[in-house]
Amino acid sequence: MPAELSRLLNAIGLMAIVTVLALAFIDQLWFRDLPCPLCILQRVGFTAAGVGIALNLIFGPRPSHYGITILGASVGASISIRQILLHIVPGTGSYGNAIFGLHLYTWAFIGFALTIIGSAILLFDDRQFAHPEPWSNRLDVLPLTALVTFFLLAVGNVVSTLLICGIGLMGQCPDNPTQYLLFH
Amino acid sequence: MMSLPFLIFACALGAAWLRQRGVAIGLWVAGLVVLLVLFRIHVTEVLSISL
Repeated sequence: MPAELSRLLNAIGLMAIVTVLALAFIDQLWFRDLPCPLCILQRVGFTAAGVGIALNLIFGPRPSHYGITILGASVGASISIRQILLHIVPGTGSYGNAIFGLHLYTWAFIGFALTIIGSAILLFDDRQFAHPEPWSNRLDVLPLTALVTFFLLAVGNVVSTLLICGIGLMGQCPDNPTQYLLFH
Repeated sequence: MMSLPFLIFACALGAAWLRQRGVAIGLWVAGLVVLLVLFRIHVTEVLSISL
């Protein structure tokens, strides 16, 4: 796989994670569906996975960067599985809005699984790690847009989580938030 | 506290942008540890399933 193709595929992957994080924000702000603690931690999982892809875009593809993405997505998948299991028995309710019949934590698990599978497939091609051509430091529009948007969403989540959970120590974040804690 | 891992990962991205790969990876490890601790703290309910 040529270096430029690797960079393009990684940029598309990071844009997919950016889309997931942006959709979560739209659900929170537009539909007033405040994220629960486990939902916030799943957003963290997507951010952790995205850091590996960002490293690929900035430093060039390396197996360790794909490892970062796979580990981050694995932790995120564990969190979403935990939330799926909380509601898997009929009559135990659910959390948040359903989109196309599935709740956001189920979609999150699918997203994490696709991230792991995509990273594993990209790892198959050893030629991207051989550096036959120099890795350009100049980023094209798509990788640059993905990186900047991803960084802004990470910072946005810092602010959003502070507003929802307050600035106190751990455990203060309500299980079923109905308002921004920092405003009350 | 829940916003801490986002902050750490944002710092990791900043370090990567400044070409500090080792710092970026170190921050990522710290963020992942914080994420795991927060996950452990918020796993409080017993699952209503019997295996």
